[in-house]
Amino acid sequence: MWWLLMALLSPAPQTPTDPGARAFQRCAACHSLRTDDLENPAPGLRGVIGRRAAAVDGFAYSDAMATAGRRGLVWNEATLARFLADPEAVVPGTTMPSQGGTAAERAAVVAWLRQRR
Amino acid sequence: MKRFWIALAIPVAACSLSLPATAQTPQYYDLPPGGRAHDVAVTADGKEVWWTVQRGGGHGILNPETGETTIIPLGEGSAPHGVIVGPDGNAWITDGGQNAIVRVDRQTRAVKVWPLPEETGPINMNTATFDHRGRIWFTGQTGFYGRLDPATDDMRVWAAPRGRGPYGITTTPSGDVWYASLAGSHIARVDLDTGEATIVEPPTPNQGARRVWSDSQGRIWVSEWNSGNVSVHDPRDGSWQTWRLPGESPRAYSVYVDETDTVWLTDFTANAIVRFDPRTETFESFPSNRPRAEVRQMLGRPGEVWGAESGTDRLVVIRHDD
Repeated sequence: MWWLLMALLSPAPQTPTDPGARAFQRCAACHSLRTDDLENPAPGLRGVIGRRAAAVDGFAYSDAMATAGRRGLVWNEATLARFLADPEAVVPGTTMPSQGGTAAERAAVVAWLRQRR
Repeated sequence: MKRFWIALAIPVAACSLSLPATAQTPQYYDLPPGGRAHDVAVTADGKEVWWTVQRGGGHGILNPETGETTIIPLGEGSAPHGVIVGPDGNAWITDGGQNAIVRVDRQTRAVKVWPLPEETGPINMNTATFDHRGRIWFTGQTGFYGRLDPATDDMRVWAAPRGRGPYGITTTPSGDVWYASLAGSHIARVDLDTGEATIVEPPTPNQGARRVWSDSQGRIWVSEWNSGNVSVHDPRDGSWQTWRLPGESPRAYSVYVDETDTVWLTDFTANAIVRFDPRTETFESFPSNRPRAEVRQMLGRPGEVWGAESGTDRLVVIRHDD
């Protein structure tokens, strides 16, 4: 029964209670909140609201995202919410996969990111 | 009553269906466009091939005889990543969008959803495997792994050592469960009783272990995304062997080991499925006939290996006679 005792005593994963921070867990597999993150598969998201698409210096964006940035796509609450709902519809050819989830989660993470400047 | 619908019955190009595929010649099946097929699984009888419709949230079903496709919606917010054939013959899906394990009954097409515990939050659910006790183990790329016992609905989730990264997962013939951590650049064996994960480090630093598969001897094959290597770990003696995929700057995304212990990989740089024969230590490449195929996973049954071309909305099969 030792394993059962160990299982019962194992700490449960700690997750944020803030809805935005909680929703950001979806993003955190690939994105960080660092401003200079060139190591992860996706760019850091601190300050993303108000930023032109594909604007992190040195990050190897997909051709699709780089083109979208050159054509003037700027991340604001509306564009980011649409992108999270269906990345391919906003930036055809993007390497960002569809993450699903609910509209409420997307709204929460956008609002949360707006405060991360 | 669970709903299901036939999305599109697409007749695949007649030439590709009427002619038997030459051994080791890839054969392609068109899927409804835009779904970004991520993972694939073939039933034991070969009569159905399943794929995850990551964009749009569905369980895709291909009849390889006719090319007809059916998509079963999985629920609001669904974005499935992995699909496997369970020991019950049904489809078991890791659904990141619903943050749940989902089962689609092969006979009735009924959909059953097991959400993760509310307190866990979304974990970016990735891939799953069954142990020999009827329990399904899964990874969450945000930094978790877990286990569901469908017989009791008991669901457990553990925080992964070193956090972010758990990706591919596999079961050995003796029933051990191993997963790979892409961001953590390691593999780990899970204690089936306590859930504790024990890390084993591949010899190449920062290699980006993405997926894992067991061969018939219980050796763990690893596709290394960052290094472009395929490596194998033998838990019996702790040894490792490593080979670099051919070509310049390879990116090894997926690995699958068939019934003959031949190793199948996918390389994003070469835009190819790559077969590796451990006996001769030789590679053979099967490039896609379209650019940016992006095969993210392979699975098979004796004589067939299947992949999902996420970039072209196609499934691909290589029928082999080794």
